[in-house]
Amino acid sequence: MSPSSSTNPTALQDELKRIEENTRTLIRVSTSRAKVAQTPKQVIWTFNKAKLYRYIPVVPAERRHKIPLFLVFALMNKPYILDLRPGNSFVEYMVKQGYDVYLLDWGAPGIEDKDLKFDDYVLDYLPRAIRKIKAVSGSNEFTMLGWCIGAILTTIYAALRPDDGLKNLILLTAPLDFTDKKAGGFVRWVNDEAFDPDKIVAAFGNVPGEMIDYGAKALKPVENYIGSYLTLWDNLDNPRIVESWHAMNTWVTDLIPMAGATYAQLIKELYRENRLIQGNLVIRGERVDLSNIRASLLNVIALADHISPPCQSESIMTKVSSKDQHLMKVKGGHIGMMAGTGALKYTWPHIDTWLAERAE
Amino acid sequence: MSNETESSKVPDPFETMTSLWETNLKNWKTIRDTGLDSWSKMMIDSVNTDEYSSTTGQWLDTYLTLSQPYRRIIDVMMTQVLTNLNMPMRSDVTSLAERLTNIETRLDDQDAKLDDILKAVDMRSLTERLTNIETHLDDQDAKLDNIPKAITAISTPKATTPKTTTNNSAKAKEAR
Repeated sequence: MSPSSSTNPTALQDELKRIEENTRTLIRVSTSRAKVAQTPKQVIWTFNKAKLYRYIPVVPAERRHKIPLFLVFALMNKPYILDLRPGNSFVEYMVKQGYDVYLLDWGAPGIEDKDLKFDDYVLDYLPRAIRKIKAVSGSNEFTMLGWCIGAILTTIYAALRPDDGLKNLILLTAPLDFTDKKAGGFVRWVNDEAFDPDKIVAAFGNVPGEMIDYGAKALKPVENYIGSYLTLWDNLDNPRIVESWHAMNTWVTDLIPMAGATYAQLIKELYRENRLIQGNLVIRGERVDLSNIRASLLNVIALADHISPPCQSESIMTKVSSKDQHLMKVKGGHIGMMAGTGALKYTWPHIDTWLAERAE
Repeated sequence: MSNETESSKVPDPFETMTSLWETNLKNWKTIRDTGLDSWSKMMIDSVNTDEYSSTTGQWLDTYLTLSQPYRRIIDVMMTQVLTNLNMPMRSDVTSLAERLTNIETRLDDQDAKLDDILKAVDMRSLTERLTNIETHLDDQDAKLDNIPKAITAISTPKATTPKTTTNNSAKAKEAR
């Protein structure tokens, strides 16, 4: 009996076992939700659907940074992308670096919230959440980090309430300047004459999460609808990649609608009329003047961002009055920049280094 | 022995199949990835055109226009059914939710005011405590001031006692 004939049936058996295990893994990750948002936290404030979380500090008070860090994510996705899973969580990382971290979860708007606008989010929700942060942290100053639409909200807030204690403003992949009407798919699509946001809002009330998700995925259809699953298929025997994919897929498929009035305002006043950067955006009767922003500014741009191309985020640097400002360009896409494998090595430490000397 | 040697020379079908499979798989993956890359670039380019925007916009507009009458019919039917069943309609639930939000807003406002009051009370108690501490400090300061006097008082009698004694004895003599 040759050695190969004795080993090959075993090899075949092993191969069959591997295929069986891979199939089980595939079924598990495609039909279940990963355990996400595990950093210990407590709800310290609620308002309508919104919740404000405070993460339990792990660094003793005397070694902690004095100024609290307030995270504001976009309206149309769940904010736990910032706390995806242990070892791949920006929140966990910053808590370990000694920051007092707060995260605002906007929640999913119901049909009764369809008339909510940027005005309400900026002048009702944010100030109330900030008041609570000040009361809990005991600090009158705070750092605000806004990501994507969250960056629009924080920028508007920073311009309207510059004396409210905002010491540092961090913007991540901020879609603020829509001068270039050919930059990226979104701008092109929503500027088309046939695209009527009012008709969408009239039909649905709130814009369904699936519709927004389709828009985001259609920007890179092959990667999102096929490539992602092929990556999983190729790495089914690599637990690290599988678990990472599972967590990310859980987040990607966890969709929430967007309040109708906010959507219409976003498309018409920002994407089409570019009011924010031109200085003629009016929020509840107040003109948003970006030159009012004096807080230290860190603007983080993802070079391969197809949702908010770099040209939409850069120009704010010349519009604000902040003397202390820094533009940081990182490799990666809109989400990968903060939640991908490179985030822990590059983006997060850079944010920490910049903020550490400004959070005392 | 000779049989074994011969059999070892004969290529193992399993091994051949495995190696063929692995080679083919690698080649297939390379072809697949290259194909996907070029397909992806083509798709990204096509979704970034005005034609795609226009087609998508028109498709969406047509869908919304055509579905509008059906949505209206469904709304009317639902309203009738729910009214007949004596059940709340969407508008009822919505107005209730709006009222709840208003109550929540007022609660949050009151919470803010309470926080301010608590802060003020805290400040007052803090001021009171500070005043007490200051009073104590003043007392202690006074006591501390007295200590040198007391020390002087204790140390001076040694030198002055005889004089006093002399004075006293003189007075005593005078009295006699």
